[in-house]
Amino acid sequence: MSTLTKDQLPQLLAALSESATVYVPAEIDGISKFAPYGSAGTGEPRFDLVNTMLPPKDLLFPQSEKMYRYGIDAEGQPFINSICESTDVVLFGIRPCDVRSIECMDDVFLTKGFADENYQARRQHLLTVAIGCTAPAETCFCDSMGLSPVQAPAADILLNETADGRAWQITAQTEKGQQALAAAGFSADSSESTAAEVSCSLKVNTQGLAAKLDAMYDHPLWEQTARKCLTCGTCTYVCPTCHCFDISQENRMREGTRFRSWDSCMFFAYTEMAGNHNPRADKMPRVRQRFLHKLCFFEQRYGKTLCVGCGRCVEKCPVALDITVLIDQLNAAEPVQPAGEGE
Amino acid sequence: MSPVTIQHDCAREGAIALTPIACKVLSVSQETADVKAFRIQALDGTKPFECRPGQTAMLSVIPYGECMFCVSAQGQDYLEFTVKEVGYVTEKLHALSPGDTVGLRGPYGNWFPTEELKGKDVLFVGGGIGLAPLRSLLTYLLDHREDYGRIDLVYSGSTPDDLIFLDDITNVWPQLPDVHCHVSIYKPCEGWEGEVCYTAPFLEQLKLSQDNRVVVLCGGPSLFRTCREMLVGLGFAEEDIITTLEMKMKCGIGKCGRCNIGSLYICLDGPVFTLAELNKIPGSLH
Ligand code: SF4
Ligand code: SF4
Ligand code: FES
Repeated sequence: MSTLTKDQLPQLLAALSESATVYVPAEIDGISKFAPYGSAGTGEPRFDLVNTMLPPKDLLFPQSEKMYRYGIDAEGQPFINSICESTDVVLFGIRPCDVRSIECMDDVFLTKGFADENYQARRQHLLTVAIGCTAPAETCFCDSMGLSPVQAPAADILLNETADGRAWQITAQTEKGQQALAAAGFSADSSESTAAEVSCSLKVNTQGLAAKLDAMYDHPLWEQTARKCLTCGTCTYVCPTCHCFDISQENRMREGTRFRSWDSCMFFAYTEMAGNHNPRADKMPRVRQRFLHKLCFFEQRYGKTLCVGCGRCVEKCPVALDITVLIDQLNAAEPVQPAGEGE
Repeated sequence: MSPVTIQHDCAREGAIALTPIACKVLSVSQETADVKAFRIQALDGTKPFECRPGQTAMLSVIPYGECMFCVSAQGQDYLEFTVKEVGYVTEKLHALSPGDTVGLRGPYGNWFPTEELKGKDVLFVGGGIGLAPLRSLLTYLLDHREDYGRIDLVYSGSTPDDLIFLDDITNVWPQLPDVHCHVSIYKPCEGWEGEVCYTAPFLEQLKLSQDNRVVVLCGGPSLFRTCREMLVGLGFAEEDIITTLEMKMKCGIGKCGRCNIGSLYICLDGPVFTLAELNKIPGSLH
């Protein structure tokens, strides 16, 4: 078994930092997130945090990102120039749930006919080093969502703590991971990590859920669930898989930049059309959209659930609208078909 | 008659993803007080890109913003967009003159089933600005006249001033072989000698048989609801009623999430659906 002792960690981080910016979990001003290793303010990597409060999605899909510049040049000619910036990034210490969230985002941004250039460029420059979880948080339920706290099949490199707690078993799961480790002077296993299975205490049952939800569009449970929601959007901002964006522009004289920024299906303006028509003007359809998209629509379209069980929304929702409680309620609910619909 | 099937998930190689190309306004025609038709051309004088009837494109009024429109018609060297002034970006668009620069990206989405319609009679039903998407298919059928059967257009607006492409409807199209235009307005109006009737009852009056005939229906929510109920009542199969869905769009390429209904993204999988399909998509007819 190839191992990386905890003493060797700084050496590996330093070696990786030579050719890339390495992001590690950090706590800055009370907010935990991924921050550049070695830069002022980041402090010592916080591998003791199970999950960072903010997910690492902004490294692939920044909260605000320039897409292109346009304007009229000195000769009076119009121009439109795309902006696609990316540099090598290592995401070190990402947890298995967040690795899975990258797989979901890959499905969205890279498949179904169009590859998103900005996302693709960042994705190609990303190396992921996952750390398996030995003690899942109270709000973690990834193993109910088809994942395992100690496996992250899509990560380039996987680290799992050895029994004595003094080292990690190190597994290179992709060629990219293998090469990065070789360049840094470390060897790694190439077969599956042999870490003992770890289990989350929070459980939900998702067996057959997507199929059941397919017939629950008009269920009264949505109205009941939506009642306490503030539509603040916190759940979508902290969610590692939420990927909706808005496009807007910033202009100055004869030039401007069009950029995209995170948006949320929880907001009224999200579906408001010119002429004031809004198919999701009320809170209930918006809340329903969020959960159906996560638990049913995405599954139908991409074959994955768009919730990875990271527990961030459970932890951060100001009114404790808990997706795991909702899943229990959905499982318990009698399916109803309203009069006048269906075959 | 075999039911019409429509292709979905039509994202195509070569379509422009998110960064538009610079184009220019070739001509502008005022259709009604608040509707203008714009012909758009690439800067080198060619058609910006090829597209099929029913497909959409994102027209960008630099620097104010962009909006998705169906391509209402196309020529050798231009794409035409018919735009109603309803908000900020369309207001800015209406202020453009020939020669002005715009951004354009596309084509997006699926298209009307032009192959499957071959040999069939086609009944177009629309109101107001709803003629824009119909026009893309109608002009295509007229360009390939011998492949299609009888064409009927049932078109209406509140007043004569709300009818777009009036010249085509009253002078050009009715002269063409086996093309029948039935036009009505909703409220009596001085100088109007034609029909005064809502669209759904007008359809009933016309007594067009559903035999070998496919309907293409586009209009606002109330026209859409009353007409689809009428057509089904008249015996048209839901598989033979084709329509286009509208939803707010930002990216046009199935990424930003906005146009999601059920497992579909209207920008990629739509906008063209049969009524039979819409009946199976939760929320699409609300
Ligand atoms: S965080 Fe809670 S209150 Fe805020 S939008 Fe999400 S579910 Fe609603
Ligand atoms: S829905 Fe909640 S638990 Fe699921 S992935 Fe998103 S933030 Fe995590
Ligand atoms: S408009 Fe962005 S997903 Fe359809």
